[in-house]
Amino acid sequence: MTASSDTAPVRASPAQPLPPEAYARMTLVLRLGLALSLAILASGVVIYLLVNPDLSPSSVLSNNPILSYLSLQGLGSGLAAGSVSAVLTLGVIVLVATPIVRVVSGLYVFAKVGERAMTAIASTVLVLLLLAVLFIGPLVR
Amino acid sequence: MDLALFVVLLLLVAVLAGLVGSLTGLGGGVVMIPLLVVLFGTSVPVAIGTGFVTILATSSATGAAYVRDHLTDIRIGMFLEIATVPGALVGATATVFLTHANLASELLIALGIVLLVTIPISLSRWNVEIPPEVRQGPVAHRLGLAGEYHDRFLGREVPYRAARARPALGVMFSAGVVSGMFGIGAGVLKVLALERSMNLPMKVATATSNFMIGVTAAAGAGVMLAAGYVNPVVAAPVAIGTAFGAYLGSRILPGLQNRTVRLIFLPVILVLAVEVILRGLGVA
Repeated sequence: MTASSDTAPVRASPAQPLPPEAYARMTLVLRLGLALSLAILASGVVIYLLVNPDLSPSSVLSNNPILSYLSLQGLGSGLAAGSVSAVLTLGVIVLVATPIVRVVSGLYVFAKVGERAMTAIASTVLVLLLLAVLFIGPLVR
Repeated sequence: MDLALFVVLLLLVAVLAGLVGSLTGLGGGVVMIPLLVVLFGTSVPVAIGTGFVTILATSSATGAAYVRDHLTDIRIGMFLEIATVPGALVGATATVFLTHANLASELLIALGIVLLVTIPISLSRWNVEIPPEVRQGPVAHRLGLAGEYHDRFLGREVPYRAARARPALGVMFSAGVVSGMFGIGAGVLKVLALERSMNLPMKVATATSNFMIGVTAAAGAGVMLAAGYVNPVVAAPVAIGTAFGAYLGSRILPGLQNRTVRLIFLPVILVLAVEVILRGLGVA
């Protein structure tokens, strides 16, 4: 970047382009996360329909089974017991977790290339996200 | 209605919502949330919770390609997420409290008004493909909020430098609140801040907005999921349908004139907005 024109910054911008692997890794995170969650959701909903042929849409809308599977323990025992609702819950969790893993991947890149300010920013975003998922949601329930 | 038919209808409507959302640039939630309430009889908070599912599916589906092509500015996106994420937390928490206070109808009316306001902004968006260069502020400079992308249409690398980082944070916080409250991407607000305040080229603004929308929605979804307003039997067909519709839209969009597409579909969203307001008022 030249410093000759009057629109140029006082000193050269400190940031170098991020390594191409950073972009490749994030693309992979987004693709894999989406594919995994859609695969779980698709198989889950098909099995749900086969297992519950007599349920009506209104009973499904009035009984949301998700709350019993939102703890690690609840989800684990639900999956072990072969509960289809637990499988569907897992699919939703993977969908929500995908952008969060993407933030972790960004945090890793910034830490690796030694951009301290961006590392701090990415850490803050991650903490806020975990706060949302683990504390604020259960708190307002 | 049979549950299997209900799920298949949800899937088909979600494909349409994903397609229209991607072609208009407004996101699938804007179409899906009103239809969930009006056609499928879900409660307002469940429709909003499902809205986040729509955003997450479409953002991951189309966002991956933008990141792969280096159109997304990862630094700018993550810097602004520091404002959108707390905004979404505040918005989603407000929605849960409003629901507990039996104010779901008022929430629905507010959603209709947000949709009505969004439409003229989206139409009047006067896109500058590549903005003139401006002086960077200290924050944008220190964080290195600058870069370049390869413009296939122009056939060259286009350098850019972000300006006015602090006011952009303010707009992004509001975008986060709107997104968190209503389960919509609020991409119109995000792109507005990226293009007008930060002076980014249109393609970088669009790609970076898409990148941020997913993380913002994850914050809102986290709250709504834990509060019990994401129903997985509804969420599953909606996620699959909108991801497919958005993918389809991103395939056919390059061959279409953006403004024409908006003019075709915006009346649909207008009707949905009015329907939602009438429903909230107890008229429909």
